[in-house]
Amino acid sequence: MILKLNTAYAAGLAVGLLFAMPATAAECIAPADPGGGWDFTCREVGRLLSAEGLVDGNVQVTNMPGGVGAVAFANVASKRANDPELLVATSTVGVTQIAQGKYPAGVETMRWLAMLGADVGVIAVDDDSPYQSLDDLMGAMKGDPASVVTAGSTGAGGWDHIRLMMLAQAAGIEDIGSIRWVQFDGGGPAVTQMMGGQVGVVSTDLGEIKGFVESGDIRVLAVLSDEPISAFPDLPTAKSQGYDVTGYNWRGFYTGGGVSDEDYAAWVDRLQKLYNSEGWQETAKASGLEPIWRGGEEFSAYVAEQNEQMAEISRQIGVIQ
Amino acid sequence: MSDRLAGFAFFLLATGYVWLSAGYTTSFGDPLGPAIFPRIIGIPAILLSLSLVIWPRHNATWAGPAGLMRQGVAVAILLAYALLLEPVGFVPMTFIAVLGLGLLMGAPPLPGLLVAVVAAPGLYLLFDRLMGLPLPLLGTWIS
Amino acid sequence: METLSLLWDGFAVAALPINLLLIVVGCFAGTLIGALPGLGPVNGVAILIPLTFAFGLDATSSLILLSAVYYGCMYGGRISAILLNIPGDEPAIMTTLDGYPMAKQGQAADALAISGVASFIGATLATIGLTLFAPMLAKAAIYFGPADYFALYVMAFATIGGITGADPRKTLLAALLGLMLGTVGLDPSTGVARYTFGSFNLYDGFDPIVALVGLFAISEILFFLEEKAHGGSMVPPGRVFPRLTRVKEGLGASLRGSLIGFIAGILPGAGASLGAVMSYSFEKRISDKKGTFGHGDPRGVAAPEAGNNAASGGALIPMLTLGVPGSGTTAVMLAMLISLNIQPGPLLFERSPDLVWGLVAALYLANFTLLILNLPLIGMFTRVLGLPAWGLMPLVVAISYLGVYAITHAAFDLLIMVGFGILGYVLRKLDFSLVPIVLGLLLGMDMENNLRRALSISGGDFTVLVQSPIALFIYALTAAFLALSLWLARRGVVAPLHAEQAED
Repeated sequence: MILKLNTAYAAGLAVGLLFAMPATAAECIAPADPGGGWDFTCREVGRLLSAEGLVDGNVQVTNMPGGVGAVAFANVASKRANDPELLVATSTVGVTQIAQGKYPAGVETMRWLAMLGADVGVIAVDDDSPYQSLDDLMGAMKGDPASVVTAGSTGAGGWDHIRLMMLAQAAGIEDIGSIRWVQFDGGGPAVTQMMGGQVGVVSTDLGEIKGFVESGDIRVLAVLSDEPISAFPDLPTAKSQGYDVTGYNWRGFYTGGGVSDEDYAAWVDRLQKLYNSEGWQETAKASGLEPIWRGGEEFSAYVAEQNEQMAEISRQIGVIQ
Repeated sequence: MSDRLAGFAFFLLATGYVWLSAGYTTSFGDPLGPAIFPRIIGIPAILLSLSLVIWPRHNATWAGPAGLMRQGVAVAILLAYALLLEPVGFVPMTFIAVLGLGLLMGAPPLPGLLVAVVAAPGLYLLFDRLMGLPLPLLGTWIS
Repeated sequence: METLSLLWDGFAVAALPINLLLIVVGCFAGTLIGALPGLGPVNGVAILIPLTFAFGLDATSSLILLSAVYYGCMYGGRISAILLNIPGDEPAIMTTLDGYPMAKQGQAADALAISGVASFIGATLATIGLTLFAPMLAKAAIYFGPADYFALYVMAFATIGGITGADPRKTLLAALLGLMLGTVGLDPSTGVARYTFGSFNLYDGFDPIVALVGLFAISEILFFLEEKAHGGSMVPPGRVFPRLTRVKEGLGASLRGSLIGFIAGILPGAGASLGAVMSYSFEKRISDKKGTFGHGDPRGVAAPEAGNNAASGGALIPMLTLGVPGSGTTAVMLAMLISLNIQPGPLLFERSPDLVWGLVAALYLANFTLLILNLPLIGMFTRVLGLPAWGLMPLVVAISYLGVYAITHAAFDLLIMVGFGILGYVLRKLDFSLVPIVLGLLLGMDMENNLRRALSISGGDFTVLVQSPIALFIYALTAAFLALSLWLARRGVVAPLHAEQAED
């Protein structure tokens, strides 16, 4: 009898524990399916936030895919604008979408918390390509913009494409509309298609293709950063070759527009502590991100500026009227 | 007869589909553009649907009035389950839906109730706790 | 020889007690996740990633666990396809074609055993292929360009016509409907929103899992409700133990299906669904002498199951040798490797031999585990059929709702699911097969993208489609295929003998 009671008690306790509310409701929305870059940002940052003791308990990761982040954006704007425990992962890709009017509202709808790092754009060719430098490539494209087939992981008008167009403009190519652009489902597939001889140049983020850089299967003509990057200090920047173009794909977070100044400042503070932790520096490096910090008002201003820039370039290449 | 109707419905769908594709234009991007592939698949669909209208083969028999009624109730339960999952919460709605569908499908009242009583919290535990997929326990109306 | 010694080292890694335990746990969890409608291998693997972090598993053990889950899902997807006519995940749709008719004839146990053995054969052959030829195959797959992929999809759709149903016009219309549904959403090449009617929720198009559950599970309920409830089960449980003779009937088909599936798996992006489709249509062409396919032919169960399991093994090749995902699931696994500080890419074999060969060895063990785990469970699974429909079907719906909602957090998707349910019911009443719709939805977007990529490369010149020798070969094969079926049809070999039987 006692045994039975004990069993019942234990079972009751177990059920109680299972239903008990988690210690904290901190939540990170990844506006994509599991496995993508935004999902990764949420999971890694969530894991480190609790590992570093910056939040109580676990950070719950919620996937809310749709419309390259538009569904999550609309959801937060309409239902969770005041939720002080909410982070939403985003990146340059999200701002590009906003700038091109593909989100339900503009950047001012949200409060932009911080960026913790950035993937750096690269221009790469196959290891037996005739192009040895950015000048070679741009020279050939200037002669005939359609002579080289270019590719990347976004469609025309996406960030990979825009970065290449910025370079082409810097090289003085007039007819950028006739450059051939092919979209693949990621930087890896674009690179393998280049190795198979289907396309001539790939413009994408370094992180996803860094294995091919290490193995020497591809040659990086330029990285689109201000300074040479820490993981590959030998790769030449576009700037050092006379093209004043940078193309970062930063990873960061926003939260609802109705969050109080106090809660907003608390999140910025927590994220900054996280940024300074050894754990983040290592994680960032492992995944090919350059750790770069911008937080709070500085970050908001940066996002607003990038939004303007992006809209301007999109108009120039005809993505938006 | 039902083939004719199906053919006609497909004809309307495919025609509308091809017609709408005219609106998808861009001044940049790939040579084919976003409108051509919809036409490549839409036009054969129009032809096939016309052939169904002209040469029908099959005739379906539909459920009687009582059957249609049951199906209508089931669809209503399913729609309510979808729409009220967030406001009412996962456990109460699952209870209602499992019970409702069970009774509709001929469950004896007591066993049907039992299944719903066990299933609603059980599935919550399975998904939310064991698999770590967050679900609303009680909805926004209650908590 | 070197490979064998590396593999031997791999077994030493895989045979560590912790890894053995993970294999068993992963296989079991995978089978369950695969069997639950609405949760496929992608989500199954993604769900477990936080768990691997929580237990502090190292990269090798994590990858072993996830691969066991991945293989387990592929085994599991067939269970609900056979028992309930509801595919547990996308690649299992082809298994409904002959698996469910077998269950209806009281041969559920046979179908489960045949598909279990076929899965084992497919997965094991793929693992052997992975062991022996991985680097070579990866190099070959690189030369497969957009025009070649397009040819492959043309082949898949050209051969769909004869897969199911009495009226080929309806099969083609269903496939075209699927292709149309597949174009809904943002166009990946230009970002133009097509057929979304202003709804952001439609920007990513229709999730195949949502369509699958709606078309198959919800339409099944509506079917059931046509008649006054009788409190009985959906399908007679039939015999509980499988017969060895039936299993033997599927062996040839399993071998052929494995080869086709494996090739489909190696090509990045094509994946398990394409493997299952091609295996089934090929098998039907060459073996369906009496028109028994679609009415419970064991070979129609064996071929697609061997095909999709072989494809999932094949998909690991581009993942391990190039760091390029061959399927959605391998994409998730790659993301996990990166977060564990393992850089996937061409150097993975050199830099992390323990990880690669430990994984390969674990795959062999996982296959045996799955076979051993699955055969005794057949008795348990067939008993599920004996459950009254009023208990089973509402649960299936609730599980599907949760599976979908827990991943997307969008009630909108659930409404779409109900919509697909009504559509599926009406189309089935009208004698349309649902399988081509799902295939169109699954493969259509890739078909269009590869067509447009090929034309982007050529600058709009259509001759690019027939310039590659690989594409020409595929078109020739397609033509031969179609000629063969016309010839067979004229000789009256493929007579719709059992057309009536499918109705009951």
